[in-house]
Amino acid sequence: MSYLEYTVKYVPTGPRKILYLNWPIALLLLSVGCVGFLMLYSVAGGSLQPWAEPQMKRFAAGFVLMLVIAMVPIWFWRNVAALAYAISVALLFAVELFGEVGMGAQRWIDLGFMRLQPSELAKITLVMLLAAYYDWLPIKKVSHPLWVALPVFFILLPTALVVIQPDLGTSLLLVFAGAAVMFVAGVHWAYFAAVIAAGIGVVVAVFKSRGTSWQLLKDYQYRRIDTFLDPSQDPLNAGYHITQSKIALGSGGWSGKGFMQGTQSRLNFLPEKHTDFIFTTLAEEFGFVGAASLLTLYALIIVFCINTAITNKDRFSALLTIGIAVTFFLFFAVNMLMVMGLAPVVGVPLPLVSYGGSAMLVLLAAFGMMQSAHIHKPR
Amino acid sequence: MIRTPLRPLARILDARRRGENPDAIERENLRLRHEELRDHARRRAEGRLLVLGLVFLCAYSVIGARMAHVAATEPAEPRTAQARAPIVAQRADIVDRQGRILATNLETHSLYAQPPLMVDPRGAAHALAQIFPDLDEKELVEDFTGKRKFLWIKRKLSPEQKQAVHDIGEPGLLFGPREMRLYPNGRLAAHVLGGAGFGREGVHAAEVVGVAGVELEFDDMLRDPAREAAPLALSLDVSVQAAVEQVLYGGMKMMNAKGASAILMDAHSGELLSIVSLPDFDPNDRPRPPVAGRPSDSPLFNRALQGVYELGSTFKIFTVAQAMELNLVTPDTVIDTRPPFKVGGHRIGEFENHNYKDISVEEIIIKSSNRGTGKIALMVGKERQQEFLRQLGFFTPVPLEMAEAAGGRPLLPAKWTDLSAVTISYGHGLSTTPLHLAAGYAAIANGGYLVKPTLLRQPGPKYGARVISAEVAAASRQMLRKVVTEGTASFAEVPGYQVAGKTGTADKPIETGGGYYKDKVIATFAAMFPADAPRYVLVLMLDEPVETSGDKPRRSAGWTAVPVAAEVIRRAAPLLGLRPVVEPQVRAGITLSSSR
Repeated sequence: MSYLEYTVKYVPTGPRKILYLNWPIALLLLSVGCVGFLMLYSVAGGSLQPWAEPQMKRFAAGFVLMLVIAMVPIWFWRNVAALAYAISVALLFAVELFGEVGMGAQRWIDLGFMRLQPSELAKITLVMLLAAYYDWLPIKKVSHPLWVALPVFFILLPTALVVIQPDLGTSLLLVFAGAAVMFVAGVHWAYFAAVIAAGIGVVVAVFKSRGTSWQLLKDYQYRRIDTFLDPSQDPLNAGYHITQSKIALGSGGWSGKGFMQGTQSRLNFLPEKHTDFIFTTLAEEFGFVGAASLLTLYALIIVFCINTAITNKDRFSALLTIGIAVTFFLFFAVNMLMVMGLAPVVGVPLPLVSYGGSAMLVLLAAFGMMQSAHIHKPR
Repeated sequence: MIRTPLRPLARILDARRRGENPDAIERENLRLRHEELRDHARRRAEGRLLVLGLVFLCAYSVIGARMAHVAATEPAEPRTAQARAPIVAQRADIVDRQGRILATNLETHSLYAQPPLMVDPRGAAHALAQIFPDLDEKELVEDFTGKRKFLWIKRKLSPEQKQAVHDIGEPGLLFGPREMRLYPNGRLAAHVLGGAGFGREGVHAAEVVGVAGVELEFDDMLRDPAREAAPLALSLDVSVQAAVEQVLYGGMKMMNAKGASAILMDAHSGELLSIVSLPDFDPNDRPRPPVAGRPSDSPLFNRALQGVYELGSTFKIFTVAQAMELNLVTPDTVIDTRPPFKVGGHRIGEFENHNYKDISVEEIIIKSSNRGTGKIALMVGKERQQEFLRQLGFFTPVPLEMAEAAGGRPLLPAKWTDLSAVTISYGHGLSTTPLHLAAGYAAIANGGYLVKPTLLRQPGPKYGARVISAEVAAASRQMLRKVVTEGTASFAEVPGYQVAGKTGTADKPIETGGGYYKDKVIATFAAMFPADAPRYVLVLMLDEPVETSGDKPRRSAGWTAVPVAAEVIRRAAPLLGLRPVVEPQVRAGITLSSSR
């Protein structure tokens, strides 16, 4: 049911919109950002350089961007969803053709003032497109095979482009976020059951085929799986990150070693300690209490998102909010599981805490859209 | 699904009757239907959201539980030793029969580089090139500044070299422990030990694997962790081996031979106390196999058990022993050795064209008569001769515990004719290794039993099947003793130790085929001592010896191999614990008159 079908009793206009902002979420985002500054300050050995200060500037820019986007009516964002999706897919093609290679994977386009990671953009535009699609699609047709195949194609196109970069983490995020939107939009559960069953079948086949003549993966790929399942087998190479980060987590204990007292992360045992593995620093210095607090902050953001999605009668707004919430959830869940050794190391940052421009800007922009949906919801 | 029609006829008619617009009813119904549909979708979406929320909750619980679990566990440093396939570097020692070390392990270090860790690659390359003059500075710089993440620089470092590299202070230069095989006696028993090299290599350890000799033959056993590095005891005796090698080397030089080999064997147990092949090599730095030239000229070639030679007159005793065993002759049987003696159209000649006329069998051995032995061989017959030689093991490689032993395959005549029988009776036309000959002589020395040559220490005598009777063996030994006292091996008389033996001088066949060299011989002396009850067999062979002290070059074994063998026995016998038999000195002035 589209927005225009509701009788809009009141829509805030002009500067008054700021009063209708979803303040709890904005404040939660701000506090998560502050946790990030603290950690980056600590990782750099008690210095704003080289990470904390740029991160602050970028967060400030992102926060302003969020507010600006929130001021724009939500129907504008619905109308440009298809265009945004097309642009991000085009950028993914572009990065494939003439992107820069960073850390062994081709992910960036250098725009001069910043390095754009189109895969980050794609996470949001995919959710936008799917929300707009189900907003446009009559409810009766939602589970029709043809109308299911179309969004599946929308999901798989950017996913395929991201997989060949290669960036397994982001591609999984795309698939799961897209699937979540489809799920909430009401696609028949049998489709999901079929996909899950097929997925389990593939995993079983991969393991069963090992050592036989029809082996599905290369030997080194199996060894990576082995290392994930038991990192201590290869503690100096593939299992290094995980082993070291587990040491950091374990040495934090319940209450941690205290701010700036972490050794494991600050003594350079951990590569990427300021990006993907920053959670280990937090856990080492603030222990279980600190880690659980951050987890609670994240959880509250998700809860408020779900709340606003349920109260929003506009289908596009609700689906978009859910999609953003799921994307955000997947970010931190995958990162934490990875750091704690429950998921393979796939290179997903801890949202709003890890050092990095693209991911944070895109996330804050997404929350801007969510805020816009909240401000402009039918009342 | 029962649907309410959008325009129910009754209501339309009713509306028309009342003058209302019937379209309003349709709009109203459409709106209701939309609302119903929308509510349905909302309920469904809310249900779905609930499911999603549950999934989130599960994920949270997992993360939280894991967090608590990790926080509660005591951190443990990863142990690198947990690698799935550890490289076992412990290799058992090899010792001689008295437990003296022949091969052991030495802890050294290897040097490798990780260029990404390097601070000053150029400086490091320069410093390394100064420490190791064999390294090329330019290549090192290329390696260090290129794309390589890891490279080996040196396999084994001395402690001084390690300290020097350490003093460079370059973090990208790293050491890995390396256990290396050490042969503290250098060239001693080089061919027996063979050598070892590195197998699978890792940064922290490397496998030491045998590449030749007993190191290769017993590789699995030496590396077997279940044996807990219990040393492998060989039959060799280090001091005897050293003495034999030293004497043989001097003899080889003195007799201008290009190669030499000696085998000293316990006639009762088959234990090899010493086995030497010259030229030799240092197993600590085993040379690579030659790519050009004949492999038999390489120092790696073991003449004692890989080289097959026509060993000449040393074979005569087997012919005579067999004839005596068959009661065809006695030591006193007289045989006519006058020429001509033609077999299969070939004239059989004697050394330096002697003509011994009518001589006894004993004299045939003492004087080494070809024609006499050939005639006895014809009496024995070629079938029985073959059977006897087969029993003595001359037809197959000696089953010695060395990887190389299988290479010593005897060369047999394609067709065993009467001529073959005659020539083989005096050691031509059948090529065997010196080790075969030693095993054959052991049967005569120990009273008629076969023994199996072995490199492993044995607890005591180990006899095989009987091949000749004790009486025949004793008679044969008596003849061999007389070869030394009266015959061709007079230089073999060693004061205090009675030696029995037989010489053999065989012209070398031309490798390309077509006859024999006139000036290249294999000189062999097969001996046993002490003569009355022999305990040891010595086979000594010189390859192309020339003795030049006389007015013309002498090549016969009596002039070349025998004096060297005598020196070997003189040196080795005391080491073997044999007591010299001192003849009672005839006192001056009290001379008994002879009754003769």
